Amino acid sequence: MEKITVKVCTGTTCFVMGGANLQELNDIIAKKYGDKVELTASNCLGLCSINWEYSKAPYVKVNEEVVSEATAEKVIAEIDRQLAK
Amino acid sequence: MFIDIACSQKKKYNQNAYGDFFASNRFPNMNRVVAVLSDGLGSGIKANILACMTSTMLLKFMESHSDIEKSCEIIMNSLPVCKVRGISYSTFSAIDCFEDGKAKIVEEGNPDFIWIRNGEVLKPEFQTIQSKDFKNRKMKVYNIKLEKYDRVIFCSDGATQVAMGTKEYPLGLERSGLIKIILKKLEQEPEISSKDLSEFLVKQVELIAPNRELKDDTSILSIYCRDPRESLIFTGPPFHSEKDSFYAKTFMDFKGKKAISGGTTANIISRELNIPVVADMSTNRGKLPGLLKMDGVDLVTEGILTLTKTLEYLQSGQSDDDAARVLMNFMLNSDVISFLVGAQMNKAHYDPNLPIEIEIRKNIIKQIAKVLEEKYLKKVEVQFI
Repeated sequence: MEKITVKVCTGTTCFVMGGANLQELNDIIAKKYGDKVELTASNCLGLCSINWEYSKAPYVKVNEEVVSEATAEKVIAEIDRQLAK
Repeated sequence: MFIDIACSQKKKYNQNAYGDFFASNRFPNMNRVVAVLSDGLGSGIKANILACMTSTMLLKFMESHSDIEKSCEIIMNSLPVCKVRGISYSTFSAIDCFEDGKAKIVEEGNPDFIWIRNGEVLKPEFQTIQSKDFKNRKMKVYNIKLEKYDRVIFCSDGATQVAMGTKEYPLGLERSGLIKIILKKLEQEPEISSKDLSEFLVKQVELIAPNRELKDDTSILSIYCRDPRESLIFTGPPFHSEKDSFYAKTFMDFKGKKAISGGTTANIISRELNIPVVADMSTNRGKLPGLLKMDGVDLVTEGILTLTKTLEYLQSGQSDDDAARVLMNFMLNSDVISFLVGAQMNKAHYDPNLPIEIEIRKNIIKQIAKVLEEKYLKKVEVQFI
């Protein structure tokens, strides 16, 4: 099975809208999934300025799937959904 | 030519105040630097007050008068004489130099300065001006022309008289001994900065002192004429996006150190020049986003939050271990800093839902430029694009 890549946007908007708290994913993912999931930071994904969707920051990409208004729980749920496929 | 100036000091053993005082100012528009090193009589608080008064007054005089000679003469004639010892309350060295190399130096009482070019000590001519009011006071006036890579070193007598009376140095280290140490160091590290050289020399003087206890306050003022360290900081997307490619290229062609402050700005340069940007989650520290990486660029940070924090650090002089400190050090390690400031607004930053107020980039940069010029004596250029 291919690795799942999780990209946390560290752009300004995402960061102040709660992205800063997503650092906790670092520990959670390492513990829960080990090598199966890779967590990386990303510079601005550019999602906040599309179609005035900015109020849905912070954004996280799990593979190609976008998680808006992301929280650690939402990201974990998306990872689990993709792993179950 | 850039004039790199720094002074390092050590107190007399067991004293709690410095008896020497150094003051300097840089005028970027006039390409001029003025500096004064003064040695107050005695040591401790009394010497500190005397030296501080002499150097700050002289500096102010030099700033307002165009003629350093006149300013120094006024000070020389007005310094009181110590009742007990019958000598001057303080001695001083003053330098007024321009980036074209023209320099005027006035000395009263301090050891002669040391002028080094290509490993040789030069012996400049001087003019002596006798004080009209005090017989034993005279000042030496030098008009010299500095060249690139020249070094000029001033010191207080604490440095030349260190270890006086010991077997090894019956007359102290003396100017000749200090010259030997300087030349040896310059041979090992020809490009050493003024700050490092002055710190090194003070340390050496302390090591020579018996029991490492300095008998007098010791100061070394070092001047180094060199090429300026230039840096360019690109922040914010250009107002006209059709010019993105032009500015990205201008940025990459810059010869000095380069930094980008802004995720979107980094994305634009990455897109135009086809160089990937990667984020580094491990550098997320404190309350700021971490650093980004891009080939050919020395530093990439998030934009407005980091800049706002950098301004705060620059103003207070204190910093935490985060991206803003890295950006601050990037600025402080340059002599000439240029900002390319994109004027395009990021709509997402002005969303009323954001939990904090985001400053306007232009204003932050203006304030950073001001503090860099006034507090850190840097040359700053800001271009809005």
